[in-house]
Amino acid sequence: MSFDVALILQSLPQILEGVGLTVQLHLISLAAGTLLAVGLALLRISPNPALSWPALVYIYVFRGTPMLVQVAIVYYGLAQFEMVRNSPLWPTLREPFWCAIIAFTLNVTAYTAEILRGGIQGVDRGLLEAGKSLGLSAWHRFTRITIPIAMRLSIPAYGNEMISLLKGTALASMITMYDVTGVARTIVSRTFAPYEIFISAALVYLALTWVIQQGVKFAERYFNRHLRK
Amino acid sequence: MSVVIPWLGQFAKGAVVVLGVALVALVLTIVWGLLGAAAKLSGNRIAGAIADAYTTVFRGTPELLVLLIIYFGSAVTLTWIGKQLDPSVRFINIPPFWAGAVAISLIVGAYATETFRGAFLGVERGQVEAARALGLSSSQTFFYVRLPQMWRLALPTFGNHMISIVKDTALLSVIGLEEIMYVAERGMTMTNKPFTMYAVVAVFYLAFVSLIIIAVARLEKRLNRHLVRAR
Repeated sequence: MSFDVALILQSLPQILEGVGLTVQLHLISLAAGTLLAVGLALLRISPNPALSWPALVYIYVFRGTPMLVQVAIVYYGLAQFEMVRNSPLWPTLREPFWCAIIAFTLNVTAYTAEILRGGIQGVDRGLLEAGKSLGLSAWHRFTRITIPIAMRLSIPAYGNEMISLLKGTALASMITMYDVTGVARTIVSRTFAPYEIFISAALVYLALTWVIQQGVKFAERYFNRHLRK
Repeated sequence: MSVVIPWLGQFAKGAVVVLGVALVALVLTIVWGLLGAAAKLSGNRIAGAIADAYTTVFRGTPELLVLLIIYFGSAVTLTWIGKQLDPSVRFINIPPFWAGAVAISLIVGAYATETFRGAFLGVERGQVEAARALGLSSSQTFFYVRLPQMWRLALPTFGNHMISIVKDTALLSVIGLEEIMYVAERGMTMTNKPFTMYAVVAVFYLAFVSLIIIAVARLEKRLNRHLVRAR
Protein backbone atom coordinates (compact mmCIF):
# COMPACT_ATOMS: atom_id res chain seq x y z
CA MET A 1 0.00 0.00 0.00
CA SER A 2 1.34 3.40 -0.84
CA PHE A 3 0.67 6.92 0.24
CA ASP A 4 0.69 8.92 -2.98
CA VAL A 5 2.09 12.36 -2.18
CA ALA A 6 2.05 13.38 -5.85
CA LEU A 7 -1.69 12.76 -5.93
CA ILE A 8 -2.18 15.10 -2.97
CA LEU A 9 -0.23 17.86 -4.67
CA GLN A 10 -2.16 17.27 -7.84
CA SER A 11 -5.57 17.34 -6.14
CA LEU A 12 -4.93 20.15 -3.70
CA PRO A 13 -5.80 22.96 -6.13
CA GLN A 14 -9.18 21.31 -6.82
CA ILE A 15 -9.85 20.83 -3.10
CA LEU A 16 -8.92 24.44 -2.42
CA GLU A 17 -11.47 25.50 -5.03
CA GLY A 18 -14.08 24.05 -2.70
CA VAL A 19 -12.96 26.37 0.09
CA GLY A 20 -14.79 29.32 -1.49
CA LEU A 21 -18.12 27.51 -1.29
CA THR A 22 -17.46 26.17 2.21
CA VAL A 23 -16.61 29.66 3.48
CA GLN A 24 -19.65 31.18 1.74
CA LEU A 25 -22.01 28.63 3.24
CA HIS A 26 -20.43 29.19 6.63
CA LEU A 27 -20.44 32.99 6.67
CA ILE A 28 -23.90 33.51 5.18
CA SER A 29 -25.64 31.06 7.47
CA LEU A 30 -23.64 32.26 10.47
CA ALA A 31 -24.61 35.89 9.87
CA ALA A 32 -28.26 35.14 9.17
CA GLY A 33 -28.48 32.67 12.05
CA THR A 34 -26.92 35.06 14.54
CA LEU A 35 -29.32 37.86 13.63
CA LEU A 36 -32.33 35.57 13.98
CA ALA A 37 -30.90 34.17 17.21
CA VAL A 38 -30.97 37.58 18.87
CA GLY A 39 -34.73 37.74 18.30
CA LEU A 40 -35.26 34.14 19.30
CA ALA A 41 -33.25 34.56 22.51
CA LEU A 42 -35.37 37.59 23.44
CA LEU A 43 -38.54 35.57 22.87
CA ARG A 44 -37.08 32.71 24.88
CA ILE A 45 -36.44 34.86 27.97
CA SER A 46 -39.74 36.67 27.72
CA PRO A 47 -41.91 36.26 30.83
CA ASN A 48 -44.91 35.84 28.52
CA PRO A 49 -45.38 32.11 27.88
CA ALA A 50 -47.10 32.81 24.55
CA LEU A 51 -43.73 34.14 23.37
CA SER A 52 -41.31 31.91 25.26
CA TRP A 53 -42.99 28.59 24.54
CA PRO A 54 -42.77 28.68 20.74
CA ALA A 55 -39.12 29.71 21.09
CA LEU A 56 -38.50 26.83 23.46
CA VAL A 57 -40.13 24.33 21.12
CA TYR A 58 -38.18 25.65 18.13
CA ILE A 59 -34.89 25.35 20.01
CA TYR A 60 -35.76 21.88 21.29
CA VAL A 61 -36.68 20.55 17.84
CA PHE A 62 -33.67 21.99 16.01
CA ARG A 63 -31.16 20.97 18.66
CA GLY A 64 -32.77 17.56 19.06
CA THR A 65 -32.56 16.42 15.45
CA PRO A 66 -29.48 15.77 13.29
CA MET A 67 -28.56 18.57 10.90
CA LEU A 68 -28.53 16.06 8.04
CA VAL A 69 -32.23 15.41 8.65
CA GLN A 70 -32.88 19.17 8.57
CA VAL A 71 -30.97 19.50 5.30
CA ALA A 72 -32.93 16.59 3.80
CA ILE A 73 -36.27 18.05 4.89
CA VAL A 74 -35.50 21.39 3.25
CA TYR A 75 -33.89 19.99 0.09
CA TYR A 76 -36.05 16.93 -0.61
CA GLY A 77 -38.99 17.49 1.70
CA LEU A 78 -40.36 20.86 0.61
CA ALA A 79 -40.97 19.62 -2.93
CA GLN A 80 -43.73 17.39 -1.57
CA PHE A 81 -46.02 20.41 -1.23
CA GLU A 82 -47.68 21.78 -4.32
CA MET A 83 -47.99 25.12 -2.60
CA VAL A 84 -44.19 25.34 -2.41
CA ARG A 85 -43.70 24.17 -5.99
CA ASN A 86 -46.13 26.77 -7.27
CA SER A 87 -44.75 29.59 -5.19
CA PRO A 88 -42.51 32.30 -6.63
CA LEU A 89 -39.81 31.13 -4.20
CA TRP A 90 -39.56 27.73 -5.87
CA PRO A 91 -36.67 28.60 -8.23
CA THR A 92 -34.68 29.51 -5.10
CA LEU A 93 -35.87 26.58 -3.01
CA ARG A 94 -34.84 24.19 -5.78
CA GLU A 95 -31.22 25.34 -5.57
CA PRO A 96 -29.10 23.14 -3.32
CA PHE A 97 -27.09 26.21 -2.30
CA TRP A 98 -30.11 28.01 -0.83
CA CYS A 99 -31.49 24.84 0.70
CA ALA A 100 -28.18 24.34 2.50
CA ILE A 101 -28.16 27.98 3.63
CA ILE A 102 -31.74 27.71 4.91
CA ALA A 103 -31.11 24.49 6.80
CA PHE A 104 -27.81 25.66 8.31
CA THR A 105 -29.32 29.01 9.29
CA LEU A 106 -32.30 27.41 11.03
CA ASN A 107 -29.90 25.14 12.91
CA VAL A 108 -27.43 27.85 13.97
CA THR A 109 -30.30 30.06 15.09
CA ALA A 110 -31.41 27.47 17.64
CA TYR A 111 -27.96 26.87 19.10
CA THR A 112 -26.95 30.54 19.13
CA ALA A 113 -30.22 31.63 20.74
CA GLU A 114 -29.51 29.26 23.60
CA ILE A 115 -25.95 30.63 23.91
CA LEU A 116 -27.19 34.22 23.95
CA ARG A 117 -29.86 33.36 26.50
CA GLY A 118 -27.13 32.00 28.75
CA GLY A 119 -25.12 35.18 28.23
CA ILE A 120 -28.04 37.49 28.94
CA GLN A 121 -29.07 35.57 32.05
CA GLY A 122 -25.45 35.49 33.21
CA VAL A 123 -25.32 39.25 33.58
CA ASP A 124 -24.99 40.10 37.27
CA ARG A 125 -28.29 41.44 38.63
CA GLY A 126 -26.39 43.93 40.75
CA LEU A 127 -25.12 45.72 37.66
CA LEU A 128 -28.66 46.16 36.36
CA GLU A 129 -29.81 47.38 39.76
CA ALA A 130 -26.93 49.84 39.81
CA GLY A 131 -28.00 51.05 36.36
CA LYS A 132 -31.55 51.47 37.58
CA SER A 133 -30.49 53.45 40.61
CA LEU A 134 -28.44 55.70 38.33
CA GLY A 135 -31.66 56.42 36.46
CA LEU A 136 -30.95 54.52 33.24
CA SER A 137 -34.10 53.60 31.32
CA ALA A 138 -34.86 49.94 30.62
CA TRP A 139 -33.68 50.42 27.03
CA HIS A 140 -30.40 51.95 28.15
CA ARG A 141 -29.87 49.25 30.75
CA PHE A 142 -30.37 46.65 28.04
CA THR A 143 -28.18 48.23 25.37
CA ARG A 144 -25.42 49.64 27.60
CA ILE A 145 -25.16 46.99 30.30
CA THR A 146 -26.81 43.71 29.30
CA ILE A 147 -25.70 43.50 25.68
CA PRO A 148 -21.97 44.22 26.10
CA ILE A 149 -21.62 41.90 29.09
CA ALA A 150 -23.76 39.16 27.53
CA MET A 151 -21.61 39.32 24.40
CA ARG A 152 -18.47 38.88 26.45
CA LEU A 153 -19.95 35.93 28.33
CA SER A 154 -21.16 34.30 25.10
CA ILE A 155 -17.90 34.41 23.17
CA PRO A 156 -16.41 31.03 24.12
CA ALA A 157 -19.60 29.09 23.42
CA TYR A 158 -20.24 31.10 20.26
CA GLY A 159 -16.74 30.24 19.06
CA ASN A 160 -17.51 26.55 19.50
CA GLU A 161 -20.74 27.02 17.59
CA MET A 162 -18.86 28.66 14.71
CA ILE A 163 -16.56 25.65 14.53
CA SER A 164 -19.40 23.20 14.73
CA LEU A 165 -21.18 25.04 11.89
CA LEU A 166 -18.00 24.91 9.80
CA LYS A 167 -17.96 21.14 10.24
CA GLY A 168 -21.67 21.01 9.52
CA THR A 169 -21.20 22.68 6.12
CA ALA A 170 -19.63 19.39 4.97
CA LEU A 171 -23.21 18.10 4.76
CA ALA A 172 -23.68 20.29 1.68
CA SER A 173 -21.79 17.55 -0.17
CA MET A 174 -24.79 15.28 0.49
CA ILE A 175 -27.01 17.48 -1.65
CA THR A 176 -24.76 17.57 -4.71
CA MET A 177 -22.62 20.57 -3.77
CA TYR A 178 -18.91 20.91 -4.40
CA ASP A 179 -17.67 22.30 -1.13
CA VAL A 180 -14.35 20.99 0.25
CA THR A 181 -15.90 17.65 1.20
CA GLY A 182 -17.90 17.44 -2.01
CA VAL A 183 -14.79 17.96 -4.16
CA ALA A 184 -12.86 15.43 -2.08
CA ARG A 185 -15.60 12.81 -2.48
CA THR A 186 -15.63 13.29 -6.26
CA ILE A 187 -11.86 12.86 -6.47
CA VAL A 188 -11.97 9.76 -4.29
CA SER A 189 -14.70 8.18 -6.39
CA ARG A 190 -12.37 8.61 -9.37
CA THR A 191 -9.02 7.67 -7.81
CA PHE A 192 -10.07 5.52 -4.86
CA ALA A 193 -7.34 7.06 -2.73
CA PRO A 194 -9.35 7.88 0.40
CA TYR A 195 -6.42 8.49 2.73
CA GLU A 196 -4.60 10.99 0.56
CA ILE A 197 -7.64 12.99 -0.50
CA PHE A 198 -9.79 12.91 2.63
CA ILE A 199 -6.82 13.71 4.87
CA SER A 200 -5.93 16.67 2.64
CA ALA A 201 -9.53 17.86 2.95
CA ALA A 202 -9.37 17.37 6.72
CA LEU A 203 -6.24 19.55 6.84
CA VAL A 204 -8.13 22.29 5.01
CA TYR A 205 -10.87 22.18 7.66
CA LEU A 206 -8.29 22.17 10.44
CA ALA A 207 -6.73 25.29 8.96
CA LEU A 208 -10.14 26.99 8.80
CA THR A 209 -10.85 25.91 12.38
CA TRP A 210 -7.54 27.44 13.41
CA VAL A 211 -8.50 30.75 11.78
CA ILE A 212 -11.79 30.78 13.71
CA GLN A 213 -9.98 29.99 16.95
CA GLN A 214 -7.57 32.86 16.43
CA GLY A 215 -10.49 35.19 15.77
CA VAL A 216 -12.20 34.03 18.95
CA LYS A 217 -9.00 34.54 20.95
CA PHE A 218 -8.70 38.05 19.58
CA ALA A 219 -12.32 38.83 20.42
CA GLU A 220 -11.91 37.43 23.93
CA ARG A 221 -8.85 39.59 24.51
CA TYR A 222 -10.72 42.62 23.22
CA PHE A 223 -13.82 42.10 25.34
CA ASN A 224 -11.80 41.26 28.45
CA ARG A 225 -9.39 44.16 28.10
CA HIS A 226 -10.67 45.73 31.33
CA LEU A 227 -9.46 42.66 33.23
CA ARG A 228 -5.87 43.03 32.07
CA LYS A 229 -3.44 44.21 34.68
CA MET B 1 -49.57 10.29 7.20
CA SER B 2 -51.13 6.94 6.22
CA VAL B 3 -48.38 6.57 3.68
CA VAL B 4 -45.95 5.95 6.55
CA ILE B 5 -47.81 2.99 8.07
CA PRO B 6 -46.47 0.30 5.72
CA TRP B 7 -42.97 1.63 6.43
CA LEU B 8 -43.20 1.58 10.19
CA GLY B 9 -41.73 -1.92 10.46
CA GLN B 10 -38.68 -0.85 8.46
CA PHE B 11 -38.35 2.31 10.52
CA ALA B 12 -38.50 0.26 13.71
CA LYS B 13 -35.73 -2.00 12.41
CA GLY B 14 -33.71 1.07 11.50
CA ALA B 15 -34.27 2.48 14.97
CA VAL B 16 -32.91 -0.71 16.51
CA VAL B 17 -29.79 -0.34 14.33
CA VAL B 18 -29.40 3.27 15.48
CA LEU B 19 -29.64 2.22 19.12
CA GLY B 20 -27.14 -0.60 18.56
CA VAL B 21 -24.55 1.63 16.91
CA ALA B 22 -25.09 4.32 19.53
CA LEU B 23 -24.59 1.84 22.36
CA VAL B 24 -21.35 0.44 20.93
CA ALA B 25 -20.14 3.98 20.19
CA LEU B 26 -21.03 5.07 23.74
CA VAL B 27 -18.87 2.37 25.29
CA LEU B 28 -15.95 3.17 22.96
CA THR B 29 -16.40 6.91 23.57
CA ILE B 30 -15.94 6.36 27.30
CA VAL B 31 -12.81 4.28 26.59
CA TRP B 32 -11.23 6.93 24.31
CA GLY B 33 -12.27 9.70 26.68
CA LEU B 34 -10.72 8.03 29.72
CA LEU B 35 -7.53 7.15 27.82
CA GLY B 36 -7.27 10.68 26.43
CA ALA B 37 -7.88 12.30 29.81
CA ALA B 38 -5.36 9.96 31.47
CA ALA B 39 -2.77 10.84 28.82
CA LYS B 40 -3.37 14.56 29.22
CA LEU B 41 -3.14 14.39 33.01
CA SER B 42 -0.23 11.93 33.13
CA GLY B 43 2.45 14.59 32.90
CA ASN B 44 4.12 12.37 30.31
CA ARG B 45 5.07 14.67 27.45
CA ILE B 46 4.69 12.18 24.61
CA ALA B 47 1.34 10.84 25.85
CA GLY B 48 0.15 14.40 26.36
CA ALA B 49 1.19 15.46 22.87
CA ILE B 50 -0.56 12.47 21.29
CA ALA B 51 -3.75 13.24 23.23
CA ASP B 52 -3.55 16.92 22.23
CA ALA B 53 -3.17 15.97 18.57
CA TYR B 54 -6.11 13.58 18.91
CA THR B 55 -8.49 16.17 20.37
CA THR B 56 -7.40 18.91 17.95
CA VAL B 57 -7.83 16.75 14.85
CA PHE B 58 -11.10 15.07 15.79
CA ARG B 59 -12.75 18.24 17.03
CA GLY B 60 -11.71 20.24 13.97
CA THR B 61 -12.64 17.81 11.19
CA PRO B 62 -16.20 17.39 9.90
CA GLU B 63 -17.89 14.26 11.26
CA LEU B 64 -18.76 13.20 7.72
CA LEU B 65 -15.11 13.34 6.67
CA VAL B 66 -13.96 11.30 9.68
CA LEU B 67 -16.55 8.68 8.83
CA LEU B 68 -15.44 8.52 5.19
CA ILE B 69 -11.75 8.27 6.15
CA ILE B 70 -12.39 5.46 8.62
CA TYR B 71 -14.73 3.47 6.39
CA PHE B 72 -12.99 3.81 3.02
CA GLY B 73 -9.52 4.05 4.52
CA SER B 74 -9.90 0.83 6.46
CA ALA B 75 -11.27 -0.86 3.34
CA VAL B 76 -8.18 0.16 1.35
CA THR B 77 -5.85 -1.05 4.09
CA LEU B 78 -7.67 -4.33 4.67
CA THR B 79 -7.90 -5.04 0.95
CA TRP B 80 -4.18 -4.39 0.60
CA ILE B 81 -3.38 -6.76 3.49
CA GLY B 82 -5.74 -9.34 2.05
CA LYS B 83 -4.08 -9.14 -1.36
CA GLN B 84 -0.66 -9.79 0.20
CA LEU B 85 -2.00 -12.98 1.75
CA ASP B 86 -4.14 -14.10 -1.17
CA PRO B 87 -3.84 -12.37 -4.57
CA SER B 88 -7.37 -13.39 -5.58
CA VAL B 89 -8.90 -11.15 -2.91
CA ARG B 90 -11.02 -8.35 -4.42
CA PHE B 91 -12.30 -6.17 -1.64
CA ILE B 92 -12.47 -6.37 2.14
CA ASN B 93 -14.19 -3.82 4.34
CA ILE B 94 -15.20 -3.36 7.94
CA PRO B 95 -19.00 -3.75 8.20
CA PRO B 96 -20.62 -0.27 8.18
CA PHE B 97 -22.05 -0.92 11.65
CA TRP B 98 -18.60 -1.26 13.22
CA ALA B 99 -16.86 1.35 11.07
CA GLY B 100 -19.64 3.78 11.97
CA ALA B 101 -19.50 3.03 15.69
CA VAL B 102 -15.71 3.46 15.71
CA ALA B 103 -15.86 6.72 13.72
CA ILE B 104 -18.56 8.26 15.92
CA SER B 105 -16.78 7.16 19.10
CA LEU B 106 -13.48 8.68 17.96
CA ILE B 107 -15.18 12.01 17.24
CA VAL B 108 -17.18 12.22 20.44
CA GLY B 109 -14.30 10.65 22.39
CA ALA B 110 -12.23 13.74 21.61
CA TYR B 111 -14.86 15.92 23.30
CA ALA B 112 -15.20 13.43 26.15
CA THR B 113 -11.42 13.60 26.69
CA GLU B 114 -11.72 17.28 27.57
CA THR B 115 -14.82 16.71 29.69
CA PHE B 116 -13.21 13.90 31.69
CA ARG B 117 -9.96 15.82 32.06
CA GLY B 118 -11.79 18.78 33.55
CA ALA B 119 -13.86 16.52 35.79
CA PHE B 120 -10.79 14.67 37.12
CA LEU B 121 -9.24 18.04 37.93
CA GLY B 122 -12.46 18.93 39.74
CA VAL B 123 -12.06 16.09 42.24
CA GLU B 124 -10.47 17.56 45.33
CA ARG B 125 -6.86 16.65 45.90
CA GLY B 126 -7.65 16.03 49.53
CA GLN B 127 -9.84 13.08 48.52
CA VAL B 128 -6.90 11.39 46.81
CA GLU B 129 -4.58 12.15 49.71
CA ALA B 130 -7.13 10.79 52.18
CA ALA B 131 -7.43 7.59 50.14
CA ARG B 132 -3.68 7.15 50.09
CA ALA B 133 -3.48 7.86 53.81
CA LEU B 134 -6.06 5.10 54.36
CA GLY B 135 -3.73 2.75 52.52
CA LEU B 136 -5.71 2.37 49.28
CA SER B 137 -3.51 1.37 46.35
CA SER B 138 -3.38 3.75 43.39
CA SER B 139 -5.73 1.56 41.35
CA GLN B 140 -8.15 1.36 44.28
CA THR B 141 -7.91 5.13 44.62
CA PHE B 142 -8.71 5.46 40.94
CA PHE B 143 -11.70 3.12 40.89
CA TYR B 144 -13.24 3.87 44.29
CA VAL B 145 -12.41 7.53 44.81
CA ARG B 146 -11.47 9.41 41.68
CA LEU B 147 -13.66 7.73 39.03
CA PRO B 148 -17.02 7.92 40.88
CA GLN B 149 -16.49 11.56 41.82
CA MET B 150 -15.23 12.49 38.37
CA TRP B 151 -18.30 10.84 36.86
CA ARG B 152 -20.66 13.01 38.90
CA LEU B 153 -18.96 16.18 37.69
CA ALA B 154 -18.71 15.01 34.06
CA LEU B 155 -22.29 13.79 33.72
CA PRO B 156 -24.09 17.00 32.64
CA THR B 157 -21.63 17.61 29.80
CA PHE B 158 -21.37 13.93 29.01
CA GLY B 159 -25.14 13.92 28.54
CA ASN B 160 -24.60 16.32 25.63
CA HIS B 161 -21.97 13.96 24.23
CA MET B 162 -24.50 11.13 24.33
CA ILE B 163 -26.90 13.29 22.34
CA SER B 164 -24.13 13.96 19.80
CA ILE B 165 -23.51 10.22 19.47
CA VAL B 166 -27.15 9.55 18.67
CA LYS B 167 -27.44 12.45 16.23
CA ASP B 168 -24.24 11.47 14.42
CA THR B 169 -25.75 8.08 13.58
CA ALA B 170 -27.81 9.89 10.91
CA LEU B 171 -24.63 10.09 8.82
CA LEU B 172 -24.23 6.33 8.63
CA SER B 173 -26.61 5.92 5.70
CA VAL B 174 -23.73 7.37 3.66
CA ILE B 175 -21.74 4.18 4.16
CA GLY B 176 -24.78 2.02 3.52
CA LEU B 177 -25.91 1.18 7.04
CA GLU B 178 -29.65 0.47 7.02
CA GLU B 179 -30.67 2.90 9.76
CA ILE B 180 -33.70 5.20 9.81
CA MET B 181 -32.21 7.77 7.44
CA TYR B 182 -31.60 4.97 4.94
CA VAL B 183 -35.18 3.75 5.30
CA ALA B 184 -36.43 7.30 4.69
CA GLU B 185 -34.32 7.60 1.54
CA ARG B 186 -35.82 4.42 0.17
CA GLY B 187 -39.28 5.41 1.32
CA MET B 188 -38.90 8.74 -0.43
CA THR B 189 -38.14 7.22 -3.81
CA MET B 190 -40.96 4.70 -3.54
CA THR B 191 -43.74 6.89 -2.19
CA ASN B 192 -42.74 10.34 -3.43
CA LYS B 193 -43.46 11.73 0.04
CA PRO B 194 -40.04 13.01 1.10
CA PHE B 195 -41.28 15.46 3.73
CA THR B 196 -43.37 12.86 5.50
CA MET B 197 -40.52 10.34 5.48
CA TYR B 198 -37.91 12.70 6.87
CA ALA B 199 -40.38 14.11 9.39
CA VAL B 200 -40.71 10.56 10.74
CA VAL B 201 -36.91 10.39 11.04
CA ALA B 202 -36.92 13.70 12.91
CA VAL B 203 -39.57 12.38 15.32
CA PHE B 204 -37.47 9.27 16.00
CA TYR B 205 -34.41 11.37 16.79
CA LEU B 206 -36.40 13.75 18.98
CA ALA B 207 -37.65 10.74 20.92
CA PHE B 208 -34.13 9.34 21.37
CA VAL B 209 -32.76 12.71 22.45
CA SER B 210 -35.65 13.26 24.87
CA LEU B 211 -35.03 9.85 26.44
CA ILE B 212 -31.36 10.74 26.96
CA ILE B 213 -32.27 14.07 28.52
CA ILE B 214 -34.68 12.39 30.93
CA ALA B 215 -32.22 9.61 31.78
CA VAL B 216 -29.37 12.04 32.43
CA ALA B 217 -31.56 14.22 34.64
CA ARG B 218 -32.51 11.17 36.72
CA LEU B 219 -28.93 9.97 36.93
CA GLU B 220 -27.77 13.43 37.97
CA LYS B 221 -30.34 13.48 40.74
CA ARG B 222 -29.14 10.09 41.93
CA LEU B 223 -25.46 11.02 41.81
CA ASN B 224 -26.11 14.24 43.70
CA ARG B 225 -28.35 12.64 46.35
CA HIS B 226 -25.72 13.22 49.03
CA LEU B 227 -25.99 16.95 48.40
CA VAL B 228 -29.72 17.06 49.11
CA ARG B 229 -30.36 18.44 52.57
CA ALA B 230 -32.27 16.37 55.08
CA ARG B 231 -35.75 17.59 55.81
